[in-house]
Amino acid sequence: MTGKKLILVSALILAGMCVLPLGLGIYPQHVLIVSLFYVMMASSWNLLAGYTGQVSFGHAAMAGIGAYTSGILAAKAGIDPWIGVCIGTVVAALLGLMLGALCLKMGGIYLSLTTLAFSQILHIVIVNEYGITRGTMGLQVPGLMAEYSKLGYYYIMLAAAVLMLIILYRMIHSNLGLNFRAVQNDETAAKSVGVKVLQVRVLAFTVASAMAGFAGGLYGHYLLLITPEIPSLDLQFYVLAMTVIGGMGSFIGPIVGAFALNILAEKIRDYGEFHVLVFGLIALVVARFAPNGLLGVWRKFRPAKTRPTAREERRSR
Amino acid sequence: MTLLEGRKVSKSFGGVQALSEVDFTVEQGTIVGLIGPNGAGKTTLFNTVAGAFKPTGGRVIFDGKDITGLPANAICRKGMARTFQVTRPFGAMTCLENVMVAAINRHPEKPRAFIENSAHEKLSLVGLAEMEGFEALQLNVIQKKRLEMARALATEPKLLMLDEVLGGLNTQEISQAVEFIRSLRDKLGLTVLWIEHVMGAIMKAAERVIVLDQGRVLMAGTPAEVVNDPRVIQAYLGE
Repeated sequence: MTGKKLILVSALILAGMCVLPLGLGIYPQHVLIVSLFYVMMASSWNLLAGYTGQVSFGHAAMAGIGAYTSGILAAKAGIDPWIGVCIGTVVAALLGLMLGALCLKMGGIYLSLTTLAFSQILHIVIVNEYGITRGTMGLQVPGLMAEYSKLGYYYIMLAAAVLMLIILYRMIHSNLGLNFRAVQNDETAAKSVGVKVLQVRVLAFTVASAMAGFAGGLYGHYLLLITPEIPSLDLQFYVLAMTVIGGMGSFIGPIVGAFALNILAEKIRDYGEFHVLVFGLIALVVARFAPNGLLGVWRKFRPAKTRPTAREERRSR
Repeated sequence: MTLLEGRKVSKSFGGVQALSEVDFTVEQGTIVGLIGPNGAGKTTLFNTVAGAFKPTGGRVIFDGKDITGLPANAICRKGMARTFQVTRPFGAMTCLENVMVAAINRHPEKPRAFIENSAHEKLSLVGLAEMEGFEALQLNVIQKKRLEMARALATEPKLLMLDEVLGGLNTQEISQAVEFIRSLRDKLGLTVLWIEHVMGAIMKAAERVIVLDQGRVLMAGTPAEVVNDPRVIQAYLGE
């Protein structure tokens, strides 16, 4: 898509998203708000896994860091939730920086295992530090607004998601984005043409963690009750499934995946335990027939064999 | 002036001594061939010089500075670029993007249009201008080798290290490629260190040839000296 067309389409979708909840009841509004949280989680995880090839299992943990930091500050110290969310974002970024630096020289499965361990340790600490986190009971936290309104939360989450997507889009289409993709494609070759591979990887980790922390902080203050379910592996794999099924390494993929899977999950909730089975089946079908995700299917049926470069686009204008 | 110098460069993998105390020099502005039988350590020497491996001994001096043990990206920034024997393009990126990655790391401050033009120019130079919108995975081996040359050139190197770029070419294409590499040296003022099995090409293009055998320098000299040396003939053909 060329610049103008892209802006137009995005603006139309955004306008649609602004009007969408107005006619809906409380429950569909809730589903949309949660979906927006997942859009942020999947898109930022995609920056790590899809663009720099670092399959981290600590992304939900970072959301948990954001949520608990902000929640504890608000519940115990009475700090304004908005400031708390900002602090939570910074704490998640710092932890991301540390975890990223720790995993620097690790590739593939070792990075995944280390982040998995981090995630589990954090989960255990949160469950057991009852005095601070109230464990599995959950921590009651104040909301972001004086008066609770689903619609208000919807617009907050929408604005946050749009802001994050703009940052991600600009990043991916900048020099940094080229470096990200070069690192994902071939680290050795990237180094040979001067890419500071270690720096690029840590940066991606820090930015993605900050984004997860931010999303988690907002989500916690929406739920009003922060439980260890946010920094859980369930949520991590949910985000993973959304990204992979939507289309890893594409910008739109995780957005589509987040909405599709979260809405689907709500639809099949009636089947109780069976919804896990349905999820597994979907993942299998996608892996078999659409290994590049839903976006991959769409791309396959597009007539153009090659993607035009920005240069060609400029020439044709 | 000496652009690249190896002083007793050694590299071992566990118990295997791949390079032992390799001494060599590459003079500014020359084309130097690096030849030797399979397993002689040519590519290992490339990897050790360019920073993909850390040497286990010795020093590498490039452009008057000691670059021993520096990471590959830092060495690249100092003006050394290389291609890979088994090609390593950024497969899921277009040809243009492949070359742009090299250009942005040389000129991080330049605007996107400059980078794209520079990348396009390098692709035209190696004859891949028409392919710029294709993903690198779609190229054949010969095109991938050319893409790697364009990518290496986009880092604006002083020293270009080529690792078997003539594989798969016919006789006519080989002489064109030799002309092309000579013209690169003449036009861009490059120095070229070139691993090649196609002996005729090296004899035609190179001013000096270094012969490696079993991780050691067997001899170095002009192409004529090298082909007539009994030691070299023995290394290739055996007793």
